[in-house]
Amino acid sequence: MLNNNLLLLILIPLAISFLNIFLPTILRKILVFATLVVTSIITINLFNANNETFTLFSNTILSLDKMSYFALAGIQLLSFIILIFSLKGVENNIQKQFFALYPLTLAFSNGVILSEHSFSFLIFWGLSGLTLYLFNLLGKTKDTPKTAKKTFLIIGGSDAFLIMGLAIVWFLNPGNSWSLLSTNIPLVDGLSYTAFFLFLIASFSKAGGFPFHTWVPDYSKDSPVESVAFLPASLDKLLGIYLLARMVTTLFEIDILVNLIIVTLGAITIIIAAMMAMIQNNGRKLLGYSTISQVGYMIMGIGSGSILAFAGGLFHMINHTIYKSNLFLALGSVEKRTGTNELNKLGGLGKIMPFTFIMALIGTLSTSGVPPFNGFFSKWMIYQGIIEKTATLTVGYQIWMLICLILAIFGSALTLAVFIKFIHAIFLGKYQKKFAKIKRTPINQILATGLLSSLCIIFGIWAVKIPLNNFIIPALQDLGLSAPQFIGTYNPQLIILLFGLTFVTGMIIYLFTKKVKFDNNYLGGMDAEERFRILGTEFYNEVKNMKPLNTLYSWAEKKYFDIYDITTKFTNSTAKLLQQAHPGQLHLYLLYIVVGLLIFLLLI
Amino acid sequence: MKLEYLFFIFIFPGILFTSILGLIIGWVDRKVSARFTFRVGPPFLQNFNDFFKLLGKEATLIKNSIHSLFIAAPFVAFGTLSLLATMIGVTLFYGIGFGGDIFVIMYLMMIYSVMIVLGGASTGNIYSSIGAGREVKLLIGDELVFILVCLVPIIKSGYQLNLESIINFQASNGAFIGSASGILAFLLSIICIQAKMTMQPFDIPEAETEIVEGPLMEYSGPPLAFWKLNHFMMYVIFPFFLILIFLGGFNLTGLGILWFILKYVGIVVVMIIIKNTNPRIRTDTALNFFWKYASPIGLLAIILAILGV
Repeated sequence: MLNNNLLLLILIPLAISFLNIFLPTILRKILVFATLVVTSIITINLFNANNETFTLFSNTILSLDKMSYFALAGIQLLSFIILIFSLKGVENNIQKQFFALYPLTLAFSNGVILSEHSFSFLIFWGLSGLTLYLFNLLGKTKDTPKTAKKTFLIIGGSDAFLIMGLAIVWFLNPGNSWSLLSTNIPLVDGLSYTAFFLFLIASFSKAGGFPFHTWVPDYSKDSPVESVAFLPASLDKLLGIYLLARMVTTLFEIDILVNLIIVTLGAITIIIAAMMAMIQNNGRKLLGYSTISQVGYMIMGIGSGSILAFAGGLFHMINHTIYKSNLFLALGSVEKRTGTNELNKLGGLGKIMPFTFIMALIGTLSTSGVPPFNGFFSKWMIYQGIIEKTATLTVGYQIWMLICLILAIFGSALTLAVFIKFIHAIFLGKYQKKFAKIKRTPINQILATGLLSSLCIIFGIWAVKIPLNNFIIPALQDLGLSAPQFIGTYNPQLIILLFGLTFVTGMIIYLFTKKVKFDNNYLGGMDAEERFRILGTEFYNEVKNMKPLNTLYSWAEKKYFDIYDITTKFTNSTAKLLQQAHPGQLHLYLLYIVVGLLIFLLLI
Repeated sequence: MKLEYLFFIFIFPGILFTSILGLIIGWVDRKVSARFTFRVGPPFLQNFNDFFKLLGKEATLIKNSIHSLFIAAPFVAFGTLSLLATMIGVTLFYGIGFGGDIFVIMYLMMIYSVMIVLGGASTGNIYSSIGAGREVKLLIGDELVFILVCLVPIIKSGYQLNLESIINFQASNGAFIGSASGILAFLLSIICIQAKMTMQPFDIPEAETEIVEGPLMEYSGPPLAFWKLNHFMMYVIFPFFLILIFLGGFNLTGLGILWFILKYVGIVVVMIIIKNTNPRIRTDTALNFFWKYASPIGLLAIILAILGV
């Protein structure tokens, strides 16, 4: 039993996590590092594996196909890089818990990806939500307990929906098997639709799709930054979107209307989250909202019913985990040096933290989908897929689909705006003397963000060669889909080469004509003092104050759109009604009993 | 990498052609603008003189600012614009695709704004930062309309994304401007371009009288020369792009050359007239205009295009 590779991928981190409870911090770090080396080696060895399974009592519990391999490889890669960042820099008082939880999360996430049996899937899915909650409790802001509760309720609540969904799937399944693969339930009646949407709720809660996204920004603000990069920015995206991808391919056979509903939800997610991100003044919350907005693209791509967009969605999933964890980690570096993540307290750090600035800039450009970075390639695939799908639809559906596409493309302009604010507020603007003497960023943090940034570039320029040909297209073939055909053209190598040539030409002209002198900033003929500075946080006040957005924004700030808040209020008010019926007077209770008995008799 | 690619990027229709034509059209702009205000206007070679003179001046860098970014920004923008000019020009003049489709072009166009922001805000000057913020606001304003406008030719060509397919489709079925949706989209696109080039009434980010050229305020010497050159190059890139997606490209034989000049000069003159007859509007007015008035019209154009009108 212990020679099964798939089982080892779960058992090793699990064992290390329990062992870590008793060890000193330094040993914990070494062991976690060793674990990740081992799981990565196992994963690499599984690259050519066929039909690797683990059976227990003649039930297939774990199995590996190309699609789960893709997600599995993503998990190991991201866990590894984020671990490098965490080796030096995690707050001292939470280090012990952190390095016990880290392998635990890895084990459960691997478990979710590898599970074929519904039960094991459900168990690992629930447990991975639990580690999210535990990580959240390590935060040290004053809202931490509240946020942890909210996260746990949304994620845990969605598990209940998943259980119901799985039960219905079992019921509808002709063979009544518990396998999650190749059930292919057609959406024909109310029951199958219910099952589908129950699954959708689970997947959206985990990944952060509208309207179940509200835990992500709060979690981002109130948890240790490494855990934010680790879970909501990367692993939860991989898990949630993996489930969505399974749903639309092997679990259900969906029709065009469902495609359109998912695409619409994706488009709404993109726009709402980007608009919310624009007005955030906390760096972590801004990134949290932007994370949600990027989930919209994945949802759109995967739910659109076009193979090209599906591949784009999967590619965007891995790209997003790379650049968003890069950004969170870069912000983490800033936060650990300066002690704050409030954007209006930072500024002018580009000169002081040049490496972090470059990494954050690369992350920013990738997120906004600027060519030739990786974010552009996957978005471009999704757009093409949607265009391709639109061409096959009837007129009404065409308009509907195109509006979603417009919102998605516009969303990336909004994302750019969001990140201009982010970059400006932290790194650009006036140099501040108070930051002149901050400590240097540790080498491991630069290494981690540097690795992620170089992945952004490599996946952008050699997108077809590396991720698509090796991981995504085999996954599609495994699912029985044909390899996608691009309908547009984009040649990143040529573009970057020609751009490089022209850029160098310009620089040569500059170097030949260069005469430089240095001077201070002046303002109205006088030395510009430090107090005259533009923060960057006020950039979008015009948008915030615009009708009718101002009303929407104020409602959003009052949490009218927060599903958690709505449910809590509903529960509380219902509970109040019930409370009033319980005044503690005996004769009233006797009356209830008599009335209840009468009703009971009448019904009989 | 073929040798002709080098010709494309460096000589025609890339850097050399675009800069020279841009500087000449820049002269037309200055001359016409001068006539609008009853001035004489500069001599023909003024823009060339300005450019070379700025190359000879010394550049002032701000102490304690990010110098590498400050210097690199105009050159990155220059590289991107040269690339765009090549991609659009090769399709227009040779009828072949080059490097990317319409989505790639739309996204590459955003890099210019990003570089304006990064270069300007790296200095720490408050006017530059204000200008940078305004540049982004203007970008998110006009980008929505620009997306709508760019989708119209995609829809009308039967969901083709490649520039050469769009132009071939127009060659066989007539230019898109000949339809209701085409006209609407074309008119909107001219306004969009006005905003993308930050010309009046959308010179909000640079607003000389108010925030002293905004992001360009601290620039001097060769980097400034390149910013100016970039601006003039856009006088070629954007009209060519419109000609490509709406006016059916050119046919450079016989009367075609006349048509080419007419189409190009026509668009530029419309832009110059708009520039000289409108005062600068406020940022919120611009956002309101683009989001509340222009976008619904753009959506109408898309719906018309889907219906085949």
